[in-house]
Amino acid sequence: MTRVVVDPLTRIEGHLRVSTEVDANGVITDAQSSGMLFRGMERILVNRDPRDAARFTQRVCGICPTAQSMASVNALDDLYEVADQIPKDALVTRNIIQAINTMASHATHIYVLWGPDLVNPAYRNLLATVEGTGSAVWKEFLSRFAPISYKMDGASVTPGTAYINAIKEKKDLEQAMAVIGGKMPHQMATVAGGVTYRPNLADVGTLTSHYYKLMDFVNSTTLGVDAQTWLDNTYRASSPQKAVNFLLEHLQNLVDKSLSSNNFSYSAGWGDLELISAFGSELIGEKTLGLPASFKIDRTGGYGEDSNVGYLTYGVFYDVENGDGYDAVGFGQSAFQKAAFINSSFEKKAFDHKYVTEETSHGFYTSDDALHPFDGVTDPVTTASDITYEGGSDSRYTWIKAPRYNGTPCEVGPVSRLISMDEPLTTGLMQAFADNGYSAVNSFTRMIAKAQELLILSEQYLKWVTVDLDPAGKYYVDPDLNNAKDSKGIGLWEAPRGALGHWVKAGSDLKITNYQMVVPTTWNCSPRDANGVAGPLEQSLIGTKISAAENALGVDNTNPTGILHTARSFDPCIACAIHTIDLTDRTATPRTFTIV
Amino acid sequence: MEKSENHDFLNMNRRTFLKVVGAIGASAFLGIHSSKITKALELSKTKIIWLHGAECTGCSSSLLDGGNPDLSQAIEKLSVDLAFHETLLAQQGIFVDGSPASTSELNSEILLDEAIEEGNYVLVVEGSIANGPEGSGKYCMYGERTFKDIFAKAASNATAIMAVGMCAAYGGVNSADSDLKDITDFRGVAYLNEDSSKGMLSILGINKPVINIAGCPAHPDWILLTLAAVILGKIDINNLDAVLDTYKRPVVFFPTDNSMHDNCPRRGYYDRGILDEDLSGEGCLLKVGCKGPYTRSDCGLRRWNGSVSMCTQAGSPCISCCEPGFPDVASPFYDMIEDKPLAYGMNVGTMSAIGVGAASLGVAAHAARRIVFDKYAEERKKKEEE
Repeated sequence: MTRVVVDPLTRIEGHLRVSTEVDANGVITDAQSSGMLFRGMERILVNRDPRDAARFTQRVCGICPTAQSMASVNALDDLYEVADQIPKDALVTRNIIQAINTMASHATHIYVLWGPDLVNPAYRNLLATVEGTGSAVWKEFLSRFAPISYKMDGASVTPGTAYINAIKEKKDLEQAMAVIGGKMPHQMATVAGGVTYRPNLADVGTLTSHYYKLMDFVNSTTLGVDAQTWLDNTYRASSPQKAVNFLLEHLQNLVDKSLSSNNFSYSAGWGDLELISAFGSELIGEKTLGLPASFKIDRTGGYGEDSNVGYLTYGVFYDVENGDGYDAVGFGQSAFQKAAFINSSFEKKAFDHKYVTEETSHGFYTSDDALHPFDGVTDPVTTASDITYEGGSDSRYTWIKAPRYNGTPCEVGPVSRLISMDEPLTTGLMQAFADNGYSAVNSFTRMIAKAQELLILSEQYLKWVTVDLDPAGKYYVDPDLNNAKDSKGIGLWEAPRGALGHWVKAGSDLKITNYQMVVPTTWNCSPRDANGVAGPLEQSLIGTKISAAENALGVDNTNPTGILHTARSFDPCIACAIHTIDLTDRTATPRTFTIV
Repeated sequence: MEKSENHDFLNMNRRTFLKVVGAIGASAFLGIHSSKITKALELSKTKIIWLHGAECTGCSSSLLDGGNPDLSQAIEKLSVDLAFHETLLAQQGIFVDGSPASTSELNSEILLDEAIEEGNYVLVVEGSIANGPEGSGKYCMYGERTFKDIFAKAASNATAIMAVGMCAAYGGVNSADSDLKDITDFRGVAYLNEDSSKGMLSILGINKPVINIAGCPAHPDWILLTLAAVILGKIDINNLDAVLDTYKRPVVFFPTDNSMHDNCPRRGYYDRGILDEDLSGEGCLLKVGCKGPYTRSDCGLRRWNGSVSMCTQAGSPCISCCEPGFPDVASPFYDMIEDKPLAYGMNVGTMSAIGVGAASLGVAAHAARRIVFDKYAEERKKKEEE
C-alpha cells in the first residue's frame, strides 16, 4: 500500500486535503476528504440583527456569495413572515442575479479551475503514443486550456485561449450582476423583503446585451454548433436516447472530417465541449467513435456497485409566472429546477427538509449525535494536539460535518439538479454509462451536466430579463421587524455547487439566537458518518485508478490525476463547507455549541 | 484622457504618479502607458507570491474582474511573475508516503518553497491568519503545515507585503465579535481590527513594509494599481508613510480628506433632504443605515465592475467594508448609527439628538464627517510638508 495525499487540492475555493491508500495495481482502496480550516462564521451571527445575515453569509464564499445571500433572504423572508408577499418583480430580479452567479461560477469552474487538468503532462505523454493525431490533439488542448504561469519542462506555456476567454466572460457576467447588485463579489441588492434595486429600461437593454456577449463566448469557444441548435436537440430532445444520439452523430461527423486531416481546431467545428466529449470519455471517444486514445475521465469519480449515495436538490429559481410570493417550505415543488431526493437506484422521491441531519463523529468536535440543523449541537476541539490529519478513516480527520438525508450521504450539484429536471442529455448519458458498465455519474458526467446547465440557464436568463421583468413593477415590501420575535425561518436554495439551506431562529429581542447553514461542499466532501459510511467524494475515489487514463502509462503515484479530476469535478468550496459553529446558549455552563 | 497621456509618468514624482493613476484607473493607466511601461520594465520580472489563509477567495475573484486590460494582460504588461497563487496555478500539493513528490511543475508545495527560497518577491496575502487554538495556528492548515508557519516563512523572505482585503489587512469578518473570537484568534497581517500591536507580524516578531488594500472584497483597481506603483518604483517601500494612512491604506484610494458620501451617486438627494425611510426608494440611504459618511473610499468615483455601479447606486446602504473594524463598526447594517461608538473611536450620539428633521439630519452627518476627517487633516498636512 502506498499513501498518496493531495494537500492542498488547489484550484478550488479554500483548503482541501484528499488522502488515499493506493495498492500495487494503482487502485485507490481508501480515501479521506479533509476540510482544513475552522472559521466560526455562524457563531458570529448570534445576537445580531437578522437582516445582517444576508450580508455576513455572503462572506462565507466569494465565488457563490449571491447564492448564500439568496438562501439567507429566503430564510429571513420566512422569519419576518413576508415570504408570501415578495413582489413578483423582486423574485424575477433575484432569479436573474442567481442565474448570472451560476453561469459565471460554472464558466470559471470549467475553464479556470477544472480545465487546466486537461493539460497535465501525463496526457501529452499519452497522446504522444498516437502517431499524427496525437500531437494535433495535444496542440489543441494545450493552446486552449493551459492556465496562467504554466510551465512544462522548464519552458513557459502561453495561457490557453479558452482559459483567457472564460476569464473575460466571467468578468462580463459579473458586470451584468453589478448592474443590479452594485458590485461583485458580494453584491448588495438581495435583502429581506425583496431587492434594493429597481432595474430601468436601459438596464433591461444592458442585461440583454450581456446575454449576447455570453452567446458570443459560447459559440466561439464552448460549442461548435449554435447554442440554440444544441439545446433544441439535447435539452428539448423528445427522449434521452435522442439527445445522446444527437451528440454522438454530431461528434461522429467531426471525427470523420478530422481524423484524416488531423485538424481539430475551432474552425473545423471542434468547440471545447466537443473536444472534451470526444477525447475526455473512453465510452464516447474510444468505444463509440473509434478514436485511438482518450483521457478516460469517465472512468474517474464514479461510484462502485455497492456504494451508498443519493442525489439531492432543494430546488432553485422562483416560479415567477405565478405572481407575488412563494412558499418558503414547499418552495422546491414550484421552482424552475425542482427539489428531489434521488436514491442510488435513481428513483426520484419527494424532498422533505426534515430528513436533513448532520453529525460530527469524524470531525474535530466532541459531540456526535445526528441532528436536524435546527437542533444540532456540538463542541469543537480547542486543543492543538487534537487536530491531526494522519489517523485514517476511523479517526476524526476534518472540519467538515457529515450531512445525511434520511441517513444517506448525497451528491449535490448540477448532476442532481438535471436528474431532477429529467434533462435528456444528462439522463441519456447516465443511461449509456450504466448500460456499458460505467458508473452513471462520474467526473465526465459532472462536467457535461455543468456545461449543459450553463446553456439552459442562459436561455432562462434571457426570458426573465426580456419577458418577465417589469421596470414599472414593485421590488420591495418593508418587513415588520417585530415579526421576528421568537420566530424561525427556513431558506432553501441551490448554489452553483448544489443544495444550500439556511436555518435561522430569533429570540424575544428580535436578534438571532441560532443561525445554521448546510452547504453543498459539506454534502459532497463529507467525511464518514457514525456508521462508517463515507461521503460522496470519498466513495467516488475508492475503486478507481490513481493515474492518467486508467494507469495507461503505468502507475504513477507522483501524478495522481485520478484524484485531481475526481475531487475537482465536485467543484469544492471549502470556505462554505467549514463556515461552522454557532453558540446556541451563551450563558449555559458548560458552553454548548451548534454546528451546521 | 488626453491630458493623462501627456503626463510623462516615468519622470513624475511619486505623489503626482499616484494622483494620476488614482484618477484614471487601472484600465486606462495600463492601456495608455502600455509602451512606456514596457520600456520602464526592461529589468527582470517582479515575482509575486499570493497566499490564501482564512478567506472566501472573493478578493481573487475580484482581481479576475479587473478592468481592461484584464488580469492576464496586466501580468504581461507589468512583467509580473505570478509565481504562486493557490486558486489559479496548475500545481497542487502531492505527498507520497509522507514525502513531497514530483517537481515544482506539478507540486505546489515544492514550488512555494523554491519561490520563497529564491527571495526577491512581493508577498500578497488574502485571508486572515489563524493563531488558534492555543497559539498553534492549527485552525488553518495545508500542505502538512499550519498557515501561520507558511506565512511566517514567506513573510520573512519577502521584499514587501500587500495585505489584500479586510481579512488579511485587519482580520475582517473572521475577527468579528463573538465568544469564539479568542479561541479561533484570527489575525490580520499587521493589524487586528484597529490595533497595530496585535497583527500576526507582531506575534512573529517580523518587521516588513506592509501595504493594506482594504475592501470586502478589495477593488481590482486598488490591487493592480498599487502593485503597478510598487513594481514601477513609484511607491518607495522603504518610505511607505508618505503614501499610506495610519491604517496603512494607500491614501490615493482611501482619501483622508473626504468620504464615500462626498461622491455618492445619491448625494443630490441628501443635499435636498430626501432621505429614504425604507429600501424601496431612490433617495439618500442615511436613515436606512448607510455608513457612507464614515467610510473613506473612492467607490463613488471609481465604482465597481468596469465602473458599472456601486453599493449605494444599487440602493444598498454602504456597510463600511473599507474601514478597520469592519464588520462590527457598521453592524447593524440597516440601522442608522445613533449612540454606537464608530470607527476611530468617534461617538456620534450627538448626531441623533440634533437630528429631528431631514435637513438637520444632513447637518448632523456633516458634523460627524468633520469629526472623522479633521483627525486626518492634520496627518495629511504633516505629510504634505515632508
